[in-house]
Amino acid sequence: MEYFSHSWLPYIYLYGIGGIFFFSGVYIVWRTGAIDLKKPHHRMWMKIFFFGYAWFMAIHGLLTIFALR
Amino acid sequence: MVVYFLTIMLFGTYFGRYTKDTSDFFFGGRRFSWWLITMSIVATGVGSHSFVKYSAKGFEHGFSSSMTYLNDWFFVPFFMFGWLPIIVYSKVRSIPEYFEKRFNPSARFLATVLLLLYMIGYIGIGFLTLGKAVIPMLPEAFHIFGITMDVSLMRAIVVIAVITGVYITFGGQTAVIFTDLLQGFILIFAGFMLFAIGIAYVGGGQAFWDLLPTTWKLPLANFNEPSSFNFVGIFWQDAVAGSVGFLFMNQGLLMRFMACKNVNEGRKAAAINILFVLPLSAVVVGNAGWLGKAISTLSPDIISPNTSPDEIFVVVASIVTSPGVFGFVMAALTAALMSTVDTLINATAAIFINDVYRPLMKYFRKSHSDSKARDKAELFAARLTSIAITAAGVLSVFAFVQFPTVYEAHGYFHSTLTPPLVVAIFMGVFWKKFSPAGVITTFLGGVVLMIIGARYPEMFISPFDHGIEMNPNRPYSYIRALYNLVVCVGVGLFVTYTSSLQNRFITWVRNTNKGQPVMMLITTSATIAFFLLVFGITTFELFYPVIVILFVPLIVTYFGHYDEELATNGLTVWSIAAAKASFKGSTPNEQLGEKIEVKFKLLDNDFDKVLFSKNDLSRMAAEVGDLVYLSDKRKWLGGLKSIHSEYGEPHDEEGVVYINRDHMDHGLFDEGKSLIAEKEM
Repeated sequence: MEYFSHSWLPYIYLYGIGGIFFFSGVYIVWRTGAIDLKKPHHRMWMKIFFFGYAWFMAIHGLLTIFALR
Repeated sequence: MVVYFLTIMLFGTYFGRYTKDTSDFFFGGRRFSWWLITMSIVATGVGSHSFVKYSAKGFEHGFSSSMTYLNDWFFVPFFMFGWLPIIVYSKVRSIPEYFEKRFNPSARFLATVLLLLYMIGYIGIGFLTLGKAVIPMLPEAFHIFGITMDVSLMRAIVVIAVITGVYITFGGQTAVIFTDLLQGFILIFAGFMLFAIGIAYVGGGQAFWDLLPTTWKLPLANFNEPSSFNFVGIFWQDAVAGSVGFLFMNQGLLMRFMACKNVNEGRKAAAINILFVLPLSAVVVGNAGWLGKAISTLSPDIISPNTSPDEIFVVVASIVTSPGVFGFVMAALTAALMSTVDTLINATAAIFINDVYRPLMKYFRKSHSDSKARDKAELFAARLTSIAITAAGVLSVFAFVQFPTVYEAHGYFHSTLTPPLVVAIFMGVFWKKFSPAGVITTFLGGVVLMIIGARYPEMFISPFDHGIEMNPNRPYSYIRALYNLVVCVGVGLFVTYTSSLQNRFITWVRNTNKGQPVMMLITTSATIAFFLLVFGITTFELFYPVIVILFVPLIVTYFGHYDEELATNGLTVWSIAAAKASFKGSTPNEQLGEKIEVKFKLLDNDFDKVLFSKNDLSRMAAEVGDLVYLSDKRKWLGGLKSIHSEYGEPHDEEGVVYINRDHMDHGLFDEGKSLIAEKEM
């Protein structure tokens, strides 16, 4: 695929390796009780974490799709 | 430009009236709303060399110049629910102080040395960048009262340093926050204005998009080439080391979050900044480069493709804007540069006062017994320190002038001093077993292995290179971060997992007659090995790291005392609840209550307690002894007029809070104005 090493390969690496760090962080703060899902505002923060991850994936993904069109 | 600088100086100095003690000077009294801190962070985050550097990368490589602004989310859970509550609830005033509480005074000492070196160097780089940005806009000489003053780089830097130093010295953190707030707005406005004018110049949005080649439109760089700008190297240098350094180690940024009225406001400030403000900032700092590429495709005679990338920002701004607008854009650029420097000076002064001045005063027993007198003396010392650090920053410029580019000078410091501290903080916060032996060896062993890697990159760094070609002039400028992180983490893991062996050896040493001479020999060998390597004595140099990494844990274990239970309670992510209880001094009250509006009346006492009616207390779901936050009702003040206190015994006058004169002075409350009260915990 043309431009693969300039588009989807870095994308997969970014959200793959970056995702390992991100989901490890979510797991650790949940496992240690630092984030307590019984509290409504902590549940909101958990949603914001996942929204943020999806938000940046969407920004990079859409820009890549538009650039390659 | 001169008017702009004078305005900023007066604006910042005005906020000196909000600085009553060192807590105000460094943390702005822990009172601000998230939105105010978010905007003030813009100017700090975007600052320094961002405009020049990212415009250059935008011109050379396109939208991938934005990568570094869009990769900070991965460590946010660790930060928001790990590091941020720990530093706030443990009441540490600096990162080195955390190292003493979590480990021991030696760890604090090493962290202080590394951080001070890093930050003074960073200030020097900031001044150098400021000077280089301002010089092209100044005449060759000024004529004042018949005297001709030649303009030189160092003279420009000294003038800028005096202006920056003045408002920080008198204004403190509140001045930094408010000048950065103003400069943040100017910065965003100027960046988008330039982008809009530039797009109109090239014929509209569609024309701009069509003029850029495909590779310029892609948001991520090529995976592993060229060696000067590749995705994988920048991922490890910036998304991993840089993001952790930015969130966990940047004392200036941490102090900004600590100036928020509570931990949750700090989280909001961080989230909004990373999710929305940083992507906008990426456009602000990079668009001149993208426009430069589009204009050079459209009319190579106007902007030659061979234009120096470092000059592209000024070139594009001067082409697409009228002279008045150009001056405004240049003022915004300088604002960005100044904002980074002011934050760093204030943060470095905080480290010096907290980690050098106070321990020295304690050692010489010169500390005042009266807390008000002590605070006054410390505030005076903090102001003097800000002046001294500003001067040290100017002097350190001489060390960086010899680097071919500011970017290289910055990269040298970042790659050398960040990984050991970043790894030490991260492992200390998230791993209870990480001990003083682990952290001190990570500092010293990490440094020696990084030096070895820098000397033999083809041997040590190439296994991590992901296929990036080695440039002999600047070998592995980005991917070396992966090597540096791996060796620091490796040292920390090795020492921690071999701690039982170290303990057995130390037990043997303590039980034998020859114990003391053996430990003297070990200490001397490790010290000599460390300094031989640092000073470049290359004979047997590959053995020196082995000696340091094997011997330092033994020395720390033998000479130090460490109680894991005591040292980790409230200081790791595993015990945030204990940290919160320790902050309050009793069990936190987690019941949800309302915010209420009250009028205040004065009481003639000096107890740090505020008194509400029984009904108001019940509406806030608060009890006597809980912590309360009182602020002026006007939201646009962002918490500038506010205090923290404790609930005292209730009365029967509904809608009224009794405060004392100290509360009123500290919160700068206006008589007759309503206050909003909310339970903190």
